[in-house]
Amino acid sequence: MFRFPMRLVGAAVALTLAAANPGFAQQLELKLMAPAAPGGGWDQTARSMQQALVAAGVARSVQVTNVPGAGGSVGIAQFVNGAKGDGNQMMVNGFVMVGALAMNKSPVTLEQVTPIARLTEEIQVIVVPANSPIKNAQDLAAAVKADIAKVTFAGGSAGGVDHVMAALFAGAVGADAKKINYIPFSGGGESLAAILGGKVTAGISGLSEYEGQIKSGKLRAIGVTSEKRIAGSDIPTFKEQGIDLVIANWRSVVAPPGITPEQRKTLSDAVEKMVKSDAWKEILKQKGWEDAYLGGDAFADFLKKETARVTDVLKSVGLVKS
Amino acid sequence: MTSGDPVQPQRRVDRAGLVIAALLAVLAVVLVWDARRLQSAAMYGMGPEAMPVVIACGLALLAIGNFIDALRGNLPARESADPVPVVLILVGLALLIAIIGLGGGFILATSALFVTTSAAFGRRAILIDAIIALVMSTLIYLAFDRLLTLSLPAGPLERLL
Amino acid sequence: MIDTFAALAHGMAVAVQPMNLLYALIGVFLGTAVGVLPGIGPALTVALLLPVTYKLDPGGSLIMFAGIYYGGMYGGSTTAILINTPGESASMATALEGNKMAKAGRGGPALATAAIGSFVAGTIATIGLAFLAPWLVDIAVRFGPEDYFALMCVAFVTVSATFGDSPIRGLTSLFIGLTLGLVGIDKLTGQARLAFGVPELLDGVEVTTLAVGLFAVGEALYVASRRHHTEEKLEPVRGSLWMTKEDWKRSWKPWLRGTMFGFPIGALPAGGAEIPTFLSYSTEKRLTKHPEEFGKGAIEGVAGPEAANNASAAGTLVPLLTLGLPTSATAAMMLAGFQQYGLNPGPLLFAERPDLVWGLIASLFIANMMLLVLNLPLVGLWVRLLAIPQPWLYAGILVFATMGTIAAKPSVVELSMLAGFGVLGFLMRRFDFPIAPVVVGLILGPIAESQLRRALAISLGDPMTLLQSPISATLLGIALIALVAPFVLKGLGRFKANED
Repeated sequence: MFRFPMRLVGAAVALTLAAANPGFAQQLELKLMAPAAPGGGWDQTARSMQQALVAAGVARSVQVTNVPGAGGSVGIAQFVNGAKGDGNQMMVNGFVMVGALAMNKSPVTLEQVTPIARLTEEIQVIVVPANSPIKNAQDLAAAVKADIAKVTFAGGSAGGVDHVMAALFAGAVGADAKKINYIPFSGGGESLAAILGGKVTAGISGLSEYEGQIKSGKLRAIGVTSEKRIAGSDIPTFKEQGIDLVIANWRSVVAPPGITPEQRKTLSDAVEKMVKSDAWKEILKQKGWEDAYLGGDAFADFLKKETARVTDVLKSVGLVKS
Repeated sequence: MTSGDPVQPQRRVDRAGLVIAALLAVLAVVLVWDARRLQSAAMYGMGPEAMPVVIACGLALLAIGNFIDALRGNLPARESADPVPVVLILVGLALLIAIIGLGGGFILATSALFVTTSAAFGRRAILIDAIIALVMSTLIYLAFDRLLTLSLPAGPLERLL
Repeated sequence: MIDTFAALAHGMAVAVQPMNLLYALIGVFLGTAVGVLPGIGPALTVALLLPVTYKLDPGGSLIMFAGIYYGGMYGGSTTAILINTPGESASMATALEGNKMAKAGRGGPALATAAIGSFVAGTIATIGLAFLAPWLVDIAVRFGPEDYFALMCVAFVTVSATFGDSPIRGLTSLFIGLTLGLVGIDKLTGQARLAFGVPELLDGVEVTTLAVGLFAVGEALYVASRRHHTEEKLEPVRGSLWMTKEDWKRSWKPWLRGTMFGFPIGALPAGGAEIPTFLSYSTEKRLTKHPEEFGKGAIEGVAGPEAANNASAAGTLVPLLTLGLPTSATAAMMLAGFQQYGLNPGPLLFAERPDLVWGLIASLFIANMMLLVLNLPLVGLWVRLLAIPQPWLYAGILVFATMGTIAAKPSVVELSMLAGFGVLGFLMRRFDFPIAPVVVGLILGPIAESQLRRALAISLGDPMTLLQSPISATLLGIALIALVAPFVLKGLGRFKANED
């Protein structure tokens, strides 16, 4: 009973997919884990890497496996235990995993994996509805200081980058981060509706998600979290408004624990080569991702600092017990 | 909901009904026990422990309701059930889970399930069924793996492909 | 208004070029073929097939994309009807009556009413999208958490339509579902509930795992246990393969009512497709002239929910195109798709790229039509699947059902849950508990809880917020009336009877 539809899908899809794989004969045969379900951000990153690694001639074949569950907690556990010492495996991860591991009391931590490189990042933004009396970051800071409970922040899942950022904002303006009234929504769509409908004071998300609304004047961006102003944008950074708030939602790739320095170098070189390829640049443009390549020890250092910072914030808002 | 419920012909007090009521009560207790462990991290509004308690109360009431129904023998009549095929299918499911858990791969696992289910429904031509199952699951595996690039669990057979 | 027509006409002119029609057909075909695989819902279908469309020019790829989308949606309904394996939560209501029809040899009319109902609903909803979108979206964003909670209350009340004849048994099923809905990380505080330290449980119980376990696996176990009574003989076709005049007469109103539920609720940013399908199912059950057929395969119970499902899909395009708001996984994939074509959905889209927007809407029309052209002739073929000898049929159903779980989450824990839900489904059938309320509880419970808690967090714990919003107060009023009315009517009836 299955043969009929299968064969037909087969014929049609095979035709189109065959064209996508020019034959390169390299020795690398990689396995890439996306610790999330097919279709999500990490999965898209993994599949884009698969495309670029093969197209750039860095690897002969790349197989993507999906191990979804609990913000990556299930995936990393399987990766650390199952791929130990395997120099042909890598896993995609990102900011969200840092918080998820801490909150789920995961026995496996990011300290156990071998860092390879940070790939992309997205700048975060705080917005308010166009008719809000809050005009800039200082207004919002004043409101938070006046009565922190009444300032509601809408954003993504509890413990995610939006939540961490709300806590950091409160901390940076001298309020008690523990008292923030953060309302998690599932998905950017739902929180955006709550902001547009004036149900909450402010919204937090990745900049690209709200860009259309900001341009059309339905939302007012009161600050972005980059170090410097984004080229061609008139949204001020928090830093230039006197609030020390720099954060980005990054995605990276790591290797299993216990691999040799040579294996690590091979993988790092492969990723570096991929990042510089035209195929990767084309994908970044297509998906609207910001290149944030950071390799080697610099990335290892970054990962350590980010983990410490996020864990501290989550402790301060009571999501992680100290 | 264990599968060992006694299946008796009609009598005044329905024993299966009593077991169901008891299980619901146990579920309610588990909910409350689990909710007590939670810390109300919510600063404003309702905490995560409120809803489980509400549901536990509902379950407790339903346990009482089912208990009364069972005492009165109010349950609908049941026909006798043949346990053999059910056990066979469950063995098939257990085999499937075990084979996948132990890295035996998709093809062997689904073939095992196919053969046992087919046997449960009265077929005795196990060899033929096994061949059908192997061919079918191999085709499914190829379709998922090669065409849709979704990886199904791979074992010794899959690596030969 | 005139501009809208002119723009739409232009879009149509582009879409009906022969090559574009062919792309639409290929898209629908691929979408259906991948969509029938269980565990692969429309979102994943679109995700998997998106790369196929890259190779075409924007117009062609847009239209193929629309075809894949509609095909994927219809594929999920096909498995729900034929083998009781809903591919996604929105086709669960379809499975309730649809599979009963298929077993009674009326799979042909069930598939046909699903296809035609989808077409009717899709067409009306697309027209609604073209003309009402800007207006509808203004209302949609006014829905706050408290209003969603009130909407859930309405849905909970109407769920009783799936209860069967004993309220205690129905409520027991519902509460089992609500309990399962608690499992996993609490969305608002990140704490784990009922996970017992198993990491795989942290994401909660997957709706498809529960539905497939209860429906498909449970059914197989139950049929096997009763084989010694009567050799159940499945006739793939009994009576007409096509819809009879009577079927048409009983279908067209549910199609329209389903559309009325699906489109507006789908347009709500957190409305989703499940609630309108349930609302449609319970409405049809209340309004039908053949109440005795419900639970045994009533065509209204397929026509309504299928129309609602498809209309809600068009509804999700309202916030997507006007606000750039992806409100479902499928919509998020569509957003990714649009971006490939340089379309940036959002408030500026209608003004900046009218050609592409109207092209898309025209494509949706065409794709919808192609769905009908492709799938109606296939109905006969699909139905023949039921002629497979019983051992192979059920063995195949089980393989198919587990395959969906293996493909989506290949873990021992997830498969054990599937088997466990199968046993639960078997026992519930054996002891005559209704199945559907469990799944309904799992879907609605967590939404109702998180919306209520959001509303209370925003109001700093003041429950009056539920009555202060006019939308919420109205919906709660409707829920109350729906809850009380049957008792009052019953009482009145008894009163009258006593008078006679």
